[in-house]
Amino acid sequence: MTLLRHLAAAVVLGLILVLLTIRLDPFRDYQIAEIACYVIAVAGLTALVGWSGQISLGHGAFMAIGAYSAALLQLHWHWPLYVVLLASTVITAASGAVVGVAAARLRGPYLAGATLLLAVALPSLALSDNNLFGGDQGLTVVANTPAFLGASFPLTRWQAWLTCGCALIILVLLANLARSRVGRSWRAAGDDEVAAALAGLNVARLRVLAFVVSAACAGLAGVLLAVTTSIVSPGAFTLTLSVALLTGAVLGGLGSLAGAVWGSLVLVLVPTYVTDVATSHGLSSSAGSNIPVVAYGVVLVVVMLLFPNGIQGGLVRLYRLAAPRVPAPHWRGRAQPESGAPVSPGPAKPPRASASEHSASEHQEEGSI
Amino acid sequence: MSDQATAPAEPDALAVSDLDAGYGGALALRGISLAIRPASITAVLGANGAGKTTLLRAISGVVRPRGGRVLVHGRDMTGRAPEDMARGGVAHVPEGQGVIGELTVEENLRLGALWRRGREARAAALAEAYQRFRVLADRRRRAAATLSGGERQMLVIARALMAQPRVLLLDEPSLGLAPRVVAQVMQLTAELRDSGLTVLLVEQNARSALSIADQGVVLNLGQVVASAAAATLATDVQLRQHYLGF
Amino acid sequence: MAELGQLTLGGLSVGMIYAAIGLSLVLIWRATRILNYAQGGMAMFTTYLAFEVINRTGSYWAGFAAALLGGLLLGGLIERVVIRPVENKPPLNAIIVTIGLLIFLEGLAGVIYGGQYRSFPAAYSINGLKIGSAALGISANDVFVAVAVLIAALLLALLFRYTAVGLRMRAAAFSPPVSRLLGVRVGRMLTLGWALAGLIGALAGVLVSPSTFLYPNSMDAIFVLGFTAAVIGGLDSPAGAVAGGLILGVLLSYVSGYLGSDLVPLFGLAALVVVLMIRPEGLFSAPAARQV
Repeated sequence: MTLLRHLAAAVVLGLILVLLTIRLDPFRDYQIAEIACYVIAVAGLTALVGWSGQISLGHGAFMAIGAYSAALLQLHWHWPLYVVLLASTVITAASGAVVGVAAARLRGPYLAGATLLLAVALPSLALSDNNLFGGDQGLTVVANTPAFLGASFPLTRWQAWLTCGCALIILVLLANLARSRVGRSWRAAGDDEVAAALAGLNVARLRVLAFVVSAACAGLAGVLLAVTTSIVSPGAFTLTLSVALLTGAVLGGLGSLAGAVWGSLVLVLVPTYVTDVATSHGLSSSAGSNIPVVAYGVVLVVVMLLFPNGIQGGLVRLYRLAAPRVPAPHWRGRAQPESGAPVSPGPAKPPRASASEHSASEHQEEGSI
Repeated sequence: MSDQATAPAEPDALAVSDLDAGYGGALALRGISLAIRPASITAVLGANGAGKTTLLRAISGVVRPRGGRVLVHGRDMTGRAPEDMARGGVAHVPEGQGVIGELTVEENLRLGALWRRGREARAAALAEAYQRFRVLADRRRRAAATLSGGERQMLVIARALMAQPRVLLLDEPSLGLAPRVVAQVMQLTAELRDSGLTVLLVEQNARSALSIADQGVVLNLGQVVASAAAATLATDVQLRQHYLGF
Repeated sequence: MAELGQLTLGGLSVGMIYAAIGLSLVLIWRATRILNYAQGGMAMFTTYLAFEVINRTGSYWAGFAAALLGGLLLGGLIERVVIRPVENKPPLNAIIVTIGLLIFLEGLAGVIYGGQYRSFPAAYSINGLKIGSAALGISANDVFVAVAVLIAALLLALLFRYTAVGLRMRAAAFSPPVSRLLGVRVGRMLTLGWALAGLIGALAGVLVSPSTFLYPNSMDAIFVLGFTAAVIGGLDSPAGAVAGGLILGVLLSYVSGYLGSDLVPLFGLAALVVVLMIRPEGLFSAPAARQV
């Protein structure tokens, strides 16, 4: 029944989007397409970080893998677009498995450091072989409007339909995954690894699976972004992109698919707005291009300090203030709020290795990464 | 001479009135009231989960009380941070001892008095600790983690005494110790009381605790269910069996 | 043979920079169990501060002092304002906050100073030293770099080992709740830990900027290598961070000398990957308890 509900919601949203894209001008359609790409990537990342409790600072690299494999497949083998989409997603999923296996033993800062490496190293890899990867200029992915839509169908509208369609499919799949046994196992393993392992869950496999799923999403997003922007170059997949994805996930609300949508909206719409404001006030373009970066940083810090549950969390709280009879939803986020979810008291936890005391007022659940 | 009639009442060393405290959404202590005379041992007894440890934590500031007051020698110290309580003469030896294993025995001891002014005072306190606890003097340069259970208990009590506290909160000192060592710890506690210290002793081992205590308080589900002289509690068979298990 | 000696000396000098960053990361890790991703960004920022002071006063040492003082203040301020709220939360919160801080600092530097590479003066001559006619492979400035970091590390070690405040800091790091019960103002000790780490990071920044040039992302690579040094030595071990930095410095120096300097970033990353795969807890720390 959940599946039906999700599908129904997706269909309704899809219809609304179709109407929107027809009414809006091409630039807006282009922005909608961009947002949809980010939604796919951020949704995958929020599943990894929010449900499975693993951090990744390198998802921009997965987007790059998706985009580059698509460009190469199209260039050398001339496969049709849909096959390319599928193949690139599978390739990126496989790379996610590799990274997941390599990182399975790492936690917290070590995991973050390793994925940071990925984000930093991959663009330079793309620069290493000019012939294969097109060097600085990069490659391109070509996607024309399909014939059945007619010759006068605007390209941007088609791109928006394609990306939004994929985004809705991904959201439905992820929403079902969240409710499934895999989703519950992820959250259990993310909350308390030892308990989960003792309960019979294969924690390592779950962690790798989370990486595979999130990498696949990022790869698909990378291809679609390449289709939309026609650019596949190292400069398009910098560390800033990886950080932006994380910002979007945190801002929207970690572990929340709706949050992925809010976060992506902010990611795409705010920087252009902010940069426009900045340059219109006379800041040089190089200074102006740094404003979004400053904004990202401020957002990350402020949201984590004041609103750990992001936009979605804020909306949920408002909703519950207005409709208190609705039972509180199952807690899905990884970031702990300042108040709210009760802390388990000290005596209930097994004693730790060090001989020091635990003061219950200070001891909080430590989420494992 | 009318000293007896006009002698002013000594303020309680520790007075707790109507104390509420808890964790997260739940209250572990409800309306606890205690009056503890100076130079005495009060045993706090009861089953697991009765709130004994929470009581000590609420007094020493580790847990912020939700309601009620804590007065130490007449001064209102309710809800002060633990570091201020420690500097205010209340020493809390926590459950599990709280030895800082990565530091040496001497460093643990010195830590207890670091906030005190005056190098001579601190040095004198250290010398006194070594005199009273020979075993610590022998092991002063060793990492505290290498000490046995009984030695650790001695260490944390000695460390607490470095601050020259007026009130000592002892949480389950007998936990994990062999009976002979338990007897030593109890003996030590009695000697400390005899030299003027006020002790609040939380113990599972009610028999040992009552053997040295002056007063006893029994907690159940966060409330005081019995408060009397230790001897009285020890002989009340019904009470003993119901709440203390012996 | 002479070349080996030159490469070794040069590697030791550069390695001191990695050691310094690694040391500051270890300080913060031991105190608050947080990996400060913004450490490089903070160092970059204080180096820009030194840059400003040097340009206005014409004195290198004034700038040097300004950077160190700035690092001290910045570190303490950041802990008190930004890090304190996430110290007792799940580790993910702190990771995101420090990353946010990093890109904030880099973006801010970009807004104020733009992205161009600026040259930063060295304290002493950067000409190669010679003994007789044999080139040593290092300059007077390189010696200064090594000595400065060494002195800083030694002072830090003395502080921790022999002073009351050092004891309090160690206790606050090992066991905050117990330390509180003993009258230690744990919060202040954590702030002090971050302040000292900021100081060491700032030192690394001014020492390395002459060769890397100063721009908003100039400390990124140094941070990664400093992180690698800390991981090699074990995040809990200050001495390990120093040793890790020296090992890494010498190793990369050999790579640069014998295999080519463009392979250095790759080898640095490879070193980190190898350590993370094989022994994430580092070479010098006790092995982690086995999982059940």
